[in-house]
Amino acid sequence: MIKGGEFPPFYTHAMNIYCHQLGIIVEFSYCISMNEGLPCRNIIGCYKGRTDIIVILREKFTDEELRKAFSGTPKSRIERIMESLKNKE
Amino acid sequence: MDRKIFLNEKDMPKQWYNIQADLPNPLPPPLNPATGQPITPDMLAPVFPMNLIEQEVSRERWIDIPEEVLEKYLMWRPTPLYRAYSLEKYLKTPARIYFKNEGVSPPGSHKPNTAIAQAYYNKVFGIKRMATETGAGQWGSALAFACNQFGLECKVYMVRVSYNQKPYRRILMETWGAKCVPSPSPDTNAGRKFLEQNPEHPGSLGISISEAIEDAVTSKDTRYSLGSVLNHVLLHQTIIGLEIQKQLAMIGEYPDIVVGCAGGGSNFSGLSLPFVRDKIHGKKIKIVACEPSSCPTLTKGPYVYDFGDTAETTPLLPMYSLGHGFVPAPIHAGGLRYHGMAPIVSRLLTDGLIEAKAYTQLETFAAGITFARTEGFIPAPETNHAIQCVIEEAKKAKEEGKEKVILMNWSGHGIIDLAAYDAYISGKLEDYVLPDEEIKHLLKDLEKFPKPK
Repeated sequence: MIKGGEFPPFYTHAMNIYCHQLGIIVEFSYCISMNEGLPCRNIIGCYKGRTDIIVILREKFTDEELRKAFSGTPKSRIERIMESLKNKE
Repeated sequence: MDRKIFLNEKDMPKQWYNIQADLPNPLPPPLNPATGQPITPDMLAPVFPMNLIEQEVSRERWIDIPEEVLEKYLMWRPTPLYRAYSLEKYLKTPARIYFKNEGVSPPGSHKPNTAIAQAYYNKVFGIKRMATETGAGQWGSALAFACNQFGLECKVYMVRVSYNQKPYRRILMETWGAKCVPSPSPDTNAGRKFLEQNPEHPGSLGISISEAIEDAVTSKDTRYSLGSVLNHVLLHQTIIGLEIQKQLAMIGEYPDIVVGCAGGGSNFSGLSLPFVRDKIHGKKIKIVACEPSSCPTLTKGPYVYDFGDTAETTPLLPMYSLGHGFVPAPIHAGGLRYHGMAPIVSRLLTDGLIEAKAYTQLETFAAGITFARTEGFIPAPETNHAIQCVIEEAKKAKEEGKEKVILMNWSGHGIIDLAAYDAYISGKLEDYVLPDEEIKHLLKDLEKFPKPK
């Protein structure tokens, strides 16, 4: 089972999930930290019904951090490409 | 009636179908996020060869498949169309269920339909090396296979957590001669930046994309390759639906319902676009894209952090990107767009030519197990979404007493995804609402987490 980098594993198998982006089983510790220490923007959809994910996010992150993690239009692939090209200029 | 419907090699389609010629509302050009202006072909030239960029923007209805690509396709195409007799019997349905087996390709999925084409077009453009990213490994292994067929070098940036957990995908890529590295890697500026922060960084798809694009634009004779989303990728996949149309015609059938799973949209489009064309021209047909309910880009859009009111006093609501005025005006003007999904698929949904359904991981794995225990083949986990929809539609046909014809794309096998099945079978994926005590325990553990910088 993979671990979320340096983060501790969790003790309940209820927090394992099949990640559709990666095609593997991942632990919650990955989902909540994979975005440069911030949660994956799909975390609410993935964990609703499994745990009170909103409570956990509110407890652990500031408003500003949550805004950074979840707000804004998600980038399309072509936007990601253009952004990478711009970064190379 | 035969269980398998084979198409002779000589009857394999010789052209791809380009839906852009028939869209009732043409796709708006993609915009450069930095300028808000349309992206022009020359802007994409450092990333893709011009022959593929031309296909990306083409409005020609039929595009000839080059002889060299057809020759490679013959390694596994035409793929068989199956009548799912055992599944029908198990469901006691009057529906006739057909599935197109795209799992018979060397890498085991539909992905090489475009990987082979892309490798060919890069080769004739003078490219010597291709770079890409992969999450689950399906695309990386397909491109590795295709590059090998055309004598190109291939570099695959595989998200580290996936790289560590799915060694067989990496081995497939290396067997076909590709170089597969865990991402973030020390090979790019983007990768080095993340490794400096955390040498054990687990990676993400976003980081892998950045690395692959950086590699493509900074390395000699190298271009980037993408396995979904873009128009030319969907174009190459239409050979699936075009073959099916010939196969069904051989037995005098036509589908009432067409079902495919949709992540980025390539396998769904490959199956459905030729049938969407029929629908545009008057055929009565239901076309369904199936997706995970955990990241429902078509049915709902992703969750966003948003403010519930202008005073910004409702900090976190489980709000979808299509709500609360979230979608910016220029996107509304061009039709709704769903991030991560092919623009063509988004457009078809907006125009009412297709519909979308979302399924939970538990019900899709249950469907996959049902399929494996009736038809024998173990599906790729994403294919299970389509199977669940087919089962639902077949049960509905039974309730209605109608002999519907249901068609599905069986987009790949799950032999390299058995860990996911193991997790399901052993109960590790159960939907389970944590008791308060466990939430407290979880929160305590989270204290150990580093805060974002």
